Amino acid sequence: METELDLRGLYCPIPVLRTREEIEKVKVGDELRVMADDPAAEEDLKRWAKRAGQEVLDVKKEGEDITVTIRRVK
Amino acid sequence: MPEKSEGKKKILYVQTSGIDTPERLYAPFILAMTAQAMDLDASIYFLIKGITVLKKGATERIKISNFPTLKEIMDQAIKAGVKMYACAQSCDLLNMPKGDLITGVAVAGAATVNDLVLEADGVLYF
Repeated sequence: METELDLRGLYCPIPVLRTREEIEKVKVGDELRVMADDPAAEEDLKRWAKRAGQEVLDVKKEGEDITVTIRRVK
Repeated sequence: MPEKSEGKKKILYVQTSGIDTPERLYAPFILAMTAQAMDLDASIYFLIKGITVLKKGATERIKISNFPTLKEIMDQAIKAGVKMYACAQSCDLLNMPKGDLITGVAVAGAATVNDLVLEADGVLYF
């Protein structure tokens, strides 16, 4: 299962905080696809995932938008 | 989440700036609430002029640019489980009765701040 979270238009630290909230709503093993256009989001989300013990599966960039796919590991 | 602090890495923010430099007051709250979301155990120690931030009614009056009031940001940090400490001696130094402090703040002293610095995995000063 994959859940989408559109965080475009939101800025640091909101994308990280919202991702944290939403990852707890998906089941362990499922994926959360986060879209953001905050220039800090890619680096922040990758580091957040590492600290929070979650797995970044994919990062896609299209113009200013990035999409980070995260699997809930725990 | 915030309750389970066992085994987590600790990060400490020391706030020595007060309400006369409002631009220095947002970052510790924002960083600390983000730290909590990163599974870190975050604390803020308010020292010297920093304690003026914790005076009842102070944060409601602080708002910079398009940011929310400092009160909103502080409340979010508290809700995220950030622990806050006020230096007792600083209250005396600035003639601020401890009864003027907002609720939810632990009043602590020199040994506590030394201990918090030593036990933290990282410390940031503002």
